[in-house]
Amino acid sequence: MMKERMAYLIICMALILTAMLALMLGTQFYSLSQLWQALTGSQSAILSTVLNFRLPRIIAAMIAGGMLASAGAVSQSVFRNRLADPTILGVTSAGELFMLVGSLILPAFALQKQLLALIGGLVAFALLANRKTLRQPYQLIIVGVALNLTFMALTQLFTKGINVSSALGFNGITWSSVYSLLITGFIGLVAVLLMAPWANDLKLPDEQLSSVGLPVSAMRLGLLALVVYLSADVTAAVGTIPFIGIIIPNIARYFVGHDYQTILPFSMLSGAWLLLLVDTIGRIAVLPSEISAATIMAVIGGPFLIILIQRGGFHGIKAR
Amino acid sequence: MELKHVNYGYPGSENLITDFTATVPTGKILSIIGQNGAGKSTLLKLLMGAISPSSGSVEMDGHAISTLSSRQRAAKIALVTQQHQVYDEMTVKEVVKTGRLPFHSLLTTISDEEVRPFLETVNLADAKDRLLTSLSGGQQQRVWLATALAQEPQYLFLDEPTTYLDIRYQHDLMTLIQQLNTERHITIVMVLHDINQALKISDEVWLIKAGQLIQAGLAETVLNEQLLSNAFELPIKIVNIEKYGPYVIQLTS
Repeated sequence: MMKERMAYLIICMALILTAMLALMLGTQFYSLSQLWQALTGSQSAILSTVLNFRLPRIIAAMIAGGMLASAGAVSQSVFRNRLADPTILGVTSAGELFMLVGSLILPAFALQKQLLALIGGLVAFALLANRKTLRQPYQLIIVGVALNLTFMALTQLFTKGINVSSALGFNGITWSSVYSLLITGFIGLVAVLLMAPWANDLKLPDEQLSSVGLPVSAMRLGLLALVVYLSADVTAAVGTIPFIGIIIPNIARYFVGHDYQTILPFSMLSGAWLLLLVDTIGRIAVLPSEISAATIMAVIGGPFLIILIQRGGFHGIKAR
Repeated sequence: MELKHVNYGYPGSENLITDFTATVPTGKILSIIGQNGAGKSTLLKLLMGAISPSSGSVEMDGHAISTLSSRQRAAKIALVTQQHQVYDEMTVKEVVKTGRLPFHSLLTTISDEEVRPFLETVNLADAKDRLLTSLSGGQQQRVWLATALAQEPQYLFLDEPTTYLDIRYQHDLMTLIQQLNTERHITIVMVLHDINQALKISDEVWLIKAGQLIQAGLAETVLNEQLLSNAFELPIKIVNIEKYGPYVIQLTS
């Protein structure tokens, strides 16, 4: 209990601190007193930079981080596999592919990116989830990684000669996309917290769940739909950012235990923190250019995944 | 609870259960015995309403069991199977809380207080915060039993509950089951491998072979060398042990 509270306290402080640093750091450094002056109205140039560039980006990174981390945690419960995550299983890369193909062949329509990413994610899940992959943790990962590579390669095939990559990422994100991410993300995160008890229930074998009268398949489908919704929504706004969904929930388990009702809120906070940190580092590391958060996450995430597997990341989750 | 001319099978293959008619004695202990693959577990599933008969009907209090929702069934019938695993870390109380789910909406959080009496019944109140995986096999089986009791069932079904348990734990579990039957009047239906255990503890026994009921009745009526030899396709002899009574042994050369 004590450890859990400390963990929450530390992550909240880290989040506030990092957000403040993210407001201060950039091509131009602003001190806290400068920021205060901007807020009180005497430094309008600074205020405009902060409001138009830094703040939307900070908010977007935080909400996207929280969404990706909870999508990862929920899919780990549904697949009963601590390595399951929509970004390495091809769910988000399928979303990207569908967004691209859709933008090439379909006329523009409202919520186009979000809907296409959602459909792509559902297609990936349909290809991914079958009796074998649900029972064999390694098989799920292998099939997922293969799907991911295939979707990525298809995207590259279509983008040959067309530059679409600049459309995604946190760089130059507008308030309008931040607003839509905020609203849709908020809905998704509330749904995650409400459905957290289901994630716990799914630790039991299906036979036991049905004998206590639970609609197992409906619960599993509901949670999967939530995973696709969350990850597709983030993908539509900022593209695929890998590994947050694996790193964060596994660290969360270490600090706050095995109960999804605490893992999920903690994952949201720490996912928000990690993505904000990574994006801020990427923003200032190679000024005047920048490194995308996705790139940095891939660099950190690969080794983390290897360590997790070698240290027995499957502990407690076995093939049946 | 009643089975009326129940047939069950997959289309195109031989029936697993054939024309099965029998009544579960209310408030008693019933054991189902027979060879592996005779259809014992299928019978339990039919009685629970987990599967529906191809023809015939399974009725509880005069209503077809298939008309009840899965939650309604779960509030009347609880199942304990051979040990099963959990896919992630869970504490004892978290497992037992799932037994209360039929009485709550799907998204409620259940309090520790609510499951305490069931943990006390199986003598595990002190272990409530321990991880299930840190317990011995016998203790784990008691956790599953507490989960079933948390459903406050009228019927408690046990599918080979003593498999993997050593004889001491087997004895303790059987004593507990008898206690639940006499003190709380829960109707017990068990599938047991051990014929002697079944005959000793049960009020009534169903002897089945290849999906058919060959004898139903008091334990004594099944204590018949010819009947048992036929059901198990093995030479079986019944001996009398002093201070114990009749004991079934299997003669293999």
